[in-house]
Amino acid sequence: MTLVMVVDDDQDLAEMLGIVLTGSGFDVDLVSRGDEALEVFRNNPPDLVLLDVMLPGIDGIEVCRLIRLESMVPIVMLSAKGETQDIVRGLEAGADDYMQKPFRDKAELIARIRTRLRRTNADVVGLLSIGDLSIDVTAHEVQRGSTLIQLTRLEFDLLVALAKDPGRVFTRDALLSEVWGYRHSTDTRLVNVHVQRLRSKVEHDPEHPEIVMTVRGVGYKAGGPA
Amino acid sequence: MKGIRQALRQSLAVKVILSTVLLSLGVISLAGSALNSRLSDGIRSVSLTSAIAESRFTFFNAQYQMLLSQGKTLEERKQIIADLVLSATTKGVNEAQREMIFLKAPNGRKTEVSFEMSSSMIKVSSVPKDLRIKVQKNAEMQYQYGMAHYVNAVKGDSLFIGERINIPGGGRYEMYLVFSLKSQTGTLDLIRNSLFFTGLALLILLTMITWLVLRQVVRPVRDAARIATQFTKGDFSQRMKVTSQDEISTLAHSYNEMAFSIEQQISRLENLSRVQQRFVSDVTHELRTPLTTLRMASEVIYNQRESFDPLVSRSSELLAAQIDRFEKLLEDLLEVSRFDAEVAILEPVDVDVIALVNRCVRDFGLGESHNNSLIKVVTTESTINIRADVRRVERIMRNLFANALDHADGSKVVVTILATETEVGIGVRDYGSGLDESSLIRVFDRFWRADPSRARVRGGTGLGLSIALEDARLHNGELDAWGRPNKGAHFVLTLPLIAGSSIQGRPISITPEDFHQESFYL
Repeated sequence: MTLVMVVDDDQDLAEMLGIVLTGSGFDVDLVSRGDEALEVFRNNPPDLVLLDVMLPGIDGIEVCRLIRLESMVPIVMLSAKGETQDIVRGLEAGADDYMQKPFRDKAELIARIRTRLRRTNADVVGLLSIGDLSIDVTAHEVQRGSTLIQLTRLEFDLLVALAKDPGRVFTRDALLSEVWGYRHSTDTRLVNVHVQRLRSKVEHDPEHPEIVMTVRGVGYKAGGPA
Repeated sequence: MKGIRQALRQSLAVKVILSTVLLSLGVISLAGSALNSRLSDGIRSVSLTSAIAESRFTFFNAQYQMLLSQGKTLEERKQIIADLVLSATTKGVNEAQREMIFLKAPNGRKTEVSFEMSSSMIKVSSVPKDLRIKVQKNAEMQYQYGMAHYVNAVKGDSLFIGERINIPGGGRYEMYLVFSLKSQTGTLDLIRNSLFFTGLALLILLTMITWLVLRQVVRPVRDAARIATQFTKGDFSQRMKVTSQDEISTLAHSYNEMAFSIEQQISRLENLSRVQQRFVSDVTHELRTPLTTLRMASEVIYNQRESFDPLVSRSSELLAAQIDRFEKLLEDLLEVSRFDAEVAILEPVDVDVIALVNRCVRDFGLGESHNNSLIKVVTTESTINIRADVRRVERIMRNLFANALDHADGSKVVVTILATETEVGIGVRDYGSGLDESSLIRVFDRFWRADPSRARVRGGTGLGLSIALEDARLHNGELDAWGRPNKGAHFVLTLPLIAGSSIQGRPISITPEDFHQESFYL
């Protein structure tokens, strides 16, 4: 069974999330305080974390940062706040996705959780290259020469999505549906923030990207082989 | 001339200095000319009196000598006259020049011998004709001012004094004394020059004094104006310097008090608005979490509705629908509160507006009760790249589509896209019930509905168009509405190609091209 850890201080919402997730076939671990989240996480490592931003103890963004320090587990932030700075703060702390309360519907939540859990690009196997990077999809590894580059699962998925189709220009909407499993494109801020995070890890000079290239007015594409 | 007038209007200093100069110029020249005329009158009258006294003696002496010379020889008489002329003529260097002319009266008795004689320097013709006539007619001494010509071609202002002299047995003669006014003219010139230069110096000094005094007054005024300008621009910390206890410092004091009071008021209002904004934002956020629970719970119930009896099943549908509506309203309210608090942030990216509109049309039918197949997009371009906040432009389009379809009564909705060098226009035209003039004014008002009796059924929060207008204006764009009863409506969104730059015009006119004023009134 897949274990989802739900961290939310609102008892009713947490219970409801539990009902919905259990109904969709997940195991659920409910945590109501930020300062308890890390201990539960270590004792019983989940496959995915649903994390509210406003929490008693330590806030969700800090929890996210602490989990990210020791794990690449997918983290989906839940937030009642939809302002850009709140979202960007969460994503920069290492969250893979965020969902603004209230969710569009239950299906949306389940779909996004499944996308985060699924081995995206399951059709792709073997080795890919993008710029001067080599990607071992099967081993889930990215290397520049002999140096291993640590990426979160989402960052890895984003890079593979671009690399497997080198000539194609991806609009932000296309990336949203491909990497995040969004059915409706609403928020392209997610893409922008993650592209920046990815660039800061894989580019020689993030100001002048050579691996994840911007196509003005359209979106992004993979840089040519070095 | 124009420049001077402008300087006069704009600068207090120029105005005051100019009027000071003009007024003192008037006063100085009046006083100067009065002084000048008094002085010259005085000098002239003094020299006239002495000249007349001198002449009276000379003429009396001459007449006396003539009387004594009776019976003397011609030569002796001539010698006496020559002595008279010589004694009357200037001898000293420092004395004012004085000449004598001795002429025979023209109507006198004809005699063979002429005793006419003059001092060597003067031309006899210098004697003014008028004076000669007066002397010939009157027995008393006569005088007149005139121009004396000298043999060495010099001339000068002079006083001519003449009297008749009878030479017994020799006929009637006229004797003239010519007093040069050269030294007097020199004195007068000196006085005039002194007066002129004193006046000039006085004028310059006055101007400088005025300028110095003005600077003391004008500088604080200028400072005050500069500080007030900065204050107006929003720098509420600006204060005037108080250095003395005069009227200027009173002004500065009052100004500073006013500034302080305004600053306080503003910060109080800012605080209030911050509190208000925080409250609205908190309320909305606080509502979101229970709404999420509600929504999921209703969905669980809704999904089971087939196993309920019909009344409960219908209730679950209503519950789900109303939660949707509630959520939309909440989102719109939050957005409106962001605009009101002026914290709405534009996040522009490069985007093809045609693709954006087409995507909006395509997505429009999904999950909503609208039929997006009625929307037709018309444009001559294939791509129009603009820099805009995609989320907001999409929201504007969704709101305009929803509004158009709500009022189209099943007829088509035409979307026109047209771009110029500086802006892009998107027109959304429907052919439904339209709008009358009073509705047009209120169409962007919050919670306003064109037709309260029917619009209620349609859904929508009543905030859509007013949010669309705010979204457009955030881009520095504009959203205009046109409508006629039963002729449909036309909403035109105009956006600058680069969000934030200003729009020069309307690529799409607000009155739709397919509407003809004449046919409407026929």
